[in-house]
Amino acid sequence: MLDSLLSAQLLFAAAVLGSIYALVGLGLNLVYGTMRLLNIAHGDILMIGAFSAYWWFTLTGLSPLIALPLVAAIGAGLGLALYFGLFRRQLAQGLPPAAIEARSLLLFFGVSVVLQNVVAFFFSSTPRAYRHLDEVVRIGDLAMTGNRIAALVVAVTLLAGMLVFLNRSLFGIEIRALIQHREAARVVGINVDRVQMVAIALGFAAAAIAGALLSMTEQTSPFMGFRFTIAAFVVIILGGLGNIRGGIIAGMLLAVIEIYAVTIFSAEARSILIYGAFVAALLIRPQGLIGFGKRG
Amino acid sequence: MTALAATGLHAGYGDIEVLRGVSITARTGAVTAIVGANGAGKSTLMRVLAGLLPVSRGRLELDGADITKLPPHARVARGVVLVPEGRLIFPDLSVHENLILGSVTPHAQGVRDETLAQVYAMFPRLAERRSQAGGTLSGGEQQMLALGRGLMARPGVLLLDEPTLGLAPAIAKDIFRIVPRLRDAGLAVIIAEQDLRRTLRIADFAYVLENGTVVSSGKGKDLENDPDVQRAYLGLSGH
Repeated sequence: MLDSLLSAQLLFAAAVLGSIYALVGLGLNLVYGTMRLLNIAHGDILMIGAFSAYWWFTLTGLSPLIALPLVAAIGAGLGLALYFGLFRRQLAQGLPPAAIEARSLLLFFGVSVVLQNVVAFFFSSTPRAYRHLDEVVRIGDLAMTGNRIAALVVAVTLLAGMLVFLNRSLFGIEIRALIQHREAARVVGINVDRVQMVAIALGFAAAAIAGALLSMTEQTSPFMGFRFTIAAFVVIILGGLGNIRGGIIAGMLLAVIEIYAVTIFSAEARSILIYGAFVAALLIRPQGLIGFGKRG
Repeated sequence: MTALAATGLHAGYGDIEVLRGVSITARTGAVTAIVGANGAGKSTLMRVLAGLLPVSRGRLELDGADITKLPPHARVARGVVLVPEGRLIFPDLSVHENLILGSVTPHAQGVRDETLAQVYAMFPRLAERRSQAGGTLSGGEQQMLALGRGLMARPGVLLLDEPTLGLAPAIAKDIFRIVPRLRDAGLAVIIAEQDLRRTLRIADFAYVLENGTVVSSGKGKDLENDPDVQRAYLGLSGH
């Protein structure tokens, strides 16, 4: 029993899921952090990304990995449409964060219901899956499918790229500055509107790409998103708002908990644990568990 | 030369009007002081000048051009830079990152490394702590960081809002020593301060604010013994 728990197999599974959680969490971190938008449709953006990848593969027969820029563009486009359509003017009014959170929660609830049902209407709610890169690669006892390796590599590369961007580039530092102190960001002359635009585009693109990666390894359905919305909130609560490095650690942690719970107990334990982790995270450390330093 | 001219500014929060027709001008190479008691509207005026708070009426001109409706980042780009009350540094970003953020506008970015060297030369303490998080600095160091960050924007008009509030006397003295140097470097400095005596001593011109209006103005030295000033400053409404 202990052998199987320490197996590379489980750790690999946790790393794949954890990197996807971290990517989804990073997206929410950007959107919630810069604008205090409570995006409970975040997982539905992931779902849109998954469906885009599914249809790309089904219609063209080409690898969804090639379509990642397109998937990212679909996510970014959705984010920008919502920003200009719903949020830009409200944010410019300088409402207190609590008012922005309350309004955005209601609006995103609507967005979530619309996205789920539009997709279910056009494509039915039957779960779909496709086979791509599913040959098994063995290293010792560890058996990995090609698609999981690809998902892990792409997610880790994107996370590393975002870390460098947020820590090293001036625009990245502007994003972190806005997450940390909105008024100070205005004082120093940061173009807040422009930073918000980029943040929502990047955040939604990250969620959509996570969905495309996930579609290679799991079933895709119109109602798959909520689990990832909750996971993303756990990631930013545990990792700390605006703390990208903390978010990556939190994503991995959540995945480890989930994978081991499913192995030890049953698949039903998954949702109980994710929501349990969410509630526990809120109760224990509403300000974030891993470090208060918000250094990317 | 007049750098900044405000005419009949009205502004406030919600239904509460804080500024009721304030008119001031600030000249290049001069220190313009805004003095008055707590709640007279000094900080509100500074926030209006920086564009953080919209005006309901009135007009603001920079070098003759109307900037009344410009957002804060557009004003910073034109050289109107606020060093805010409470400093508002980014606590979890390093000293270096805080300073870099001072020069986000295109014209400041072009000469960033040069300005950074000047700021570090002016405040050696900041250079020593360049990789430390801003929030770990002492109050005086944070004020220097806020001031340094403001200078990173290459300001033409520098707005100093309560720069010595809550600081140890020795550090407050340092700040008052720096302000005339900034003026001599050709900046239009507008300073809102509670420390009446020291402020009037370094001010070329001063406005006394009471209940959101200018009740008195004149050369700094002339105002020092003005009874109106004493009254406004102490907040004793004599009517």
